Amino acid sequence: MRSPRLLALALGAALALSACSGGNSAQPQGGEGTATSGGSLVVDTAFSLETADPGNTYDPTGNTIAKALYETLVDFKGSDVSTPVPGLASWTQNADATQFTFTLEGGHTFSDGSPVEASDVVFTMQRVQGMKEAKPNFLLNGITVEQVDDTTVRFTSATPSLQLPAILANPALGIVNADVVKEHGGTTDGSDTAKAYLDTASAGSGPFVLDAFDVTSQVVLKRNPKYEGDEAPGYDRVVVRNTSESATQLINLQGGDSQVALDLNGDQVTQLKDGFTVASVPSASTIFLLVNQDPAVGGITANAQFAAAVRSALDYSSLLELAGAGAVQATGVIPPGFTGALPTGATQDLAASKAALAASGYDGSTIRLQYPNDYPVGGVEFTPLAERVQSQLKAAGINVELAPAPIATELDAYVAGKEGFSMWFWGPDYADSANFLPFGPGLKVGLRAGWTVEAAPQIAQLATTAGSATDPAAREGDFAAFAQALQEQGPFVPLIVPGSNIATANTVTGAAYNSVWTVDLAELKPTA
Amino acid sequence: MLLLLGVTLVTFTLTNLVPGDPIAAALGEGAAANPATVQAYVERYGLDDPLPVQYLTYLGNLAHGDLGRSLATGRPVASDLATAVPATIEIAVCAVVVSLLVATALGTVAAHRRNLVTDQVVRVVSLIGLSLPTFWLALVAYDLFFRRLGIAPGSGRLSPSLTPPPTITGLYTVDFMLDGDSVGFVDAAAHLALPVGVLSLFTIGLLTRFIRTSVLEVLDSEYVRAARAKGLGPGRVVVGYVLRGASLPILTVVGIAFGSLLSGTVLVESVFAWPGLGTYAYQAASNLDLPGIMGVGLVVGVIYLVLNLIVDVLYGVLDPRVRLA
Repeated sequence: MRSPRLLALALGAALALSACSGGNSAQPQGGEGTATSGGSLVVDTAFSLETADPGNTYDPTGNTIAKALYETLVDFKGSDVSTPVPGLASWTQNADATQFTFTLEGGHTFSDGSPVEASDVVFTMQRVQGMKEAKPNFLLNGITVEQVDDTTVRFTSATPSLQLPAILANPALGIVNADVVKEHGGTTDGSDTAKAYLDTASAGSGPFVLDAFDVTSQVVLKRNPKYEGDEAPGYDRVVVRNTSESATQLINLQGGDSQVALDLNGDQVTQLKDGFTVASVPSASTIFLLVNQDPAVGGITANAQFAAAVRSALDYSSLLELAGAGAVQATGVIPPGFTGALPTGATQDLAASKAALAASGYDGSTIRLQYPNDYPVGGVEFTPLAERVQSQLKAAGINVELAPAPIATELDAYVAGKEGFSMWFWGPDYADSANFLPFGPGLKVGLRAGWTVEAAPQIAQLATTAGSATDPAAREGDFAAFAQALQEQGPFVPLIVPGSNIATANTVTGAAYNSVWTVDLAELKPTA
Repeated sequence: MLLLLGVTLVTFTLTNLVPGDPIAAALGEGAAANPATVQAYVERYGLDDPLPVQYLTYLGNLAHGDLGRSLATGRPVASDLATAVPATIEIAVCAVVVSLLVATALGTVAAHRRNLVTDQVVRVVSLIGLSLPTFWLALVAYDLFFRRLGIAPGSGRLSPSLTPPPTITGLYTVDFMLDGDSVGFVDAAAHLALPVGVLSLFTIGLLTRFIRTSVLEVLDSEYVRAARAKGLGPGRVVVGYVLRGASLPILTVVGIAFGSLLSGTVLVESVFAWPGLGTYAYQAASNLDLPGIMGVGLVVGVIYLVLNLIVDVLYGVLDPRVRLA
């Protein structure tokens, strides 16, 4: 009889101890050699992360981590992704934009103290090209990389590639220390096994080095003492934690357990008053309606007048109310901040909508609106947005039935072009407007809407012209013409560019959203 | 073994019935449009084999302890589960222990005070425990005890300023203790308190009602009256006679409750950023990560089987008549 009592007492004591020992864990704790000193920053985000190996990563969190560990040839300043700037190298291009020569600026060193050289650049690029199963492999499709001398590397493509500098700013193409990576299984022939090593230690020249990596809970970064770049980190240690619930991120930030939250939605940031700063900007994603042009798939939606009726029926400012801070109306398929983005979007015109609807021959039948209901984009939930679209179309005389489904199952039908009327989103793979050309007829997204080249040869030509432009000045006009044509005649109705919110405690400055790597951790500094 | 085989077959069939393309879900738009990447990916994961072949391959690998490679994390599922399962076991076991202690006290008191105010209060409290949505309760408790009162630590298994212990069991509290790190132990235990408390509330509500009923049935039995007649103290009568006599139905419910706790952890783990089995299951389902989903199904199936075995063995320990039968 004595043992159970003692056990109960021991358990009770342990629980009491646990309850009493709680407190604000953002405060550094000492003892036993496990605690660290000050200078720490805690960042909460919902992990989309597989690896710390830049050559294998192509996820939002992976890009944030890779950006902190590795430097790229090309960089962007703050939120501006429209203008690539020199990173490790400056560059020149030939007249037809098929050859880009990069010259290392020198003085940069890897975390082991060795200099960054042209051979490292070539190895990095050829390693990614060799790993066919690696997600970022497609970034360098059709590109040949060669070393010219110790400080010069040449990139060559068969077709004009004005987007190449923007592509090279992607953290997945961060330059690795070739000697270290080769020593741990790195190769360029596709047999690379260095990922396992790069998940335990970094081999870059970035402002941080990898201290600990756990794909499920947290990634810990430490200041790189050998860093020679111009973005010296403000913190000795950064902990990036996997906090999947945005509500938990909000509580953590308010309670002082973290100093940065990356995934708060528009409603949540309005709850942050004194003591916090929120950087809200439009993201690079666009939420749009797809109106299928294939009669076998969409029936009445294939009539061009029907898409025009939908476009004129919507009250875009009302839809925007659902998106929260930082969001703006989508003025076209190219979001703001990208070359060729249109200055103004569609406006509601119910009379025009009804006229177009009458011309389309719509008989009042109910049309299904398919959309993913478990995948908010930039904090915008699709279900309330779809409900409002349904209500507005009803007022214009179009009967819509909502057909939500989980994204994992709905994605297939969308990609296969089997949805007549649906709501989806598109985000760029790299920071260049060439990413939005797939909306053109006969191209990837266009075909998902049953839109063939034969249906709109002039717009297909506009896409070709924009994609093969060699003069940056003319290129902007080419993309704008493409976007304008889609806005007037395309089977897409761009709705919203959701906002991106980076919330920080007032003890932190320098947070700026970047659509490629979300946030540059080295730019975050303690408030003076 | 047959049950386990059934678990693998059902899980495999159901996960493959889900409409959707796991390749597109795993690779994303850009990479999925690259034929070379898709081809390499399909070959690596054997996704071009017919489904029966994929299942037999899975079983063959399973026999060697290989649960396949997760499509979402790119790591062996066994490695992922080796991290996730102990995290969940840690809160689930603590929640069962806490629930059992609290519910035993409440249920016994309620039975002794049958139909009096104390009994009514306990019954209302247990009803509240059963009725509150776990997700809502977790958020409210976290906001109240962490942010507003400051008496609970933040989310996760450990404060960000600390490093995890060397992995021995995967249970942070145990591993810190084995490592002799008292600061780490206290911090890990403190991080357990709130998720365990939230997770326990439902189980306390469930167990309290069962224990009250079981104790009521035993209270009027002859052997309890005999114990009282012999002059034994109330404490000895309750622990040695009443609770022991009521223990069999309680044990059955505890086994079921532990199983339901595992599913309840999905929401609790999500709110408290707890990297356990629930979080892993949600991630696997969201990404159509078939090997991950099957791994979770297999682990949960094994846990249920082990629980049933333990309950059956304990029946015999608690009631010799079961052994003789």
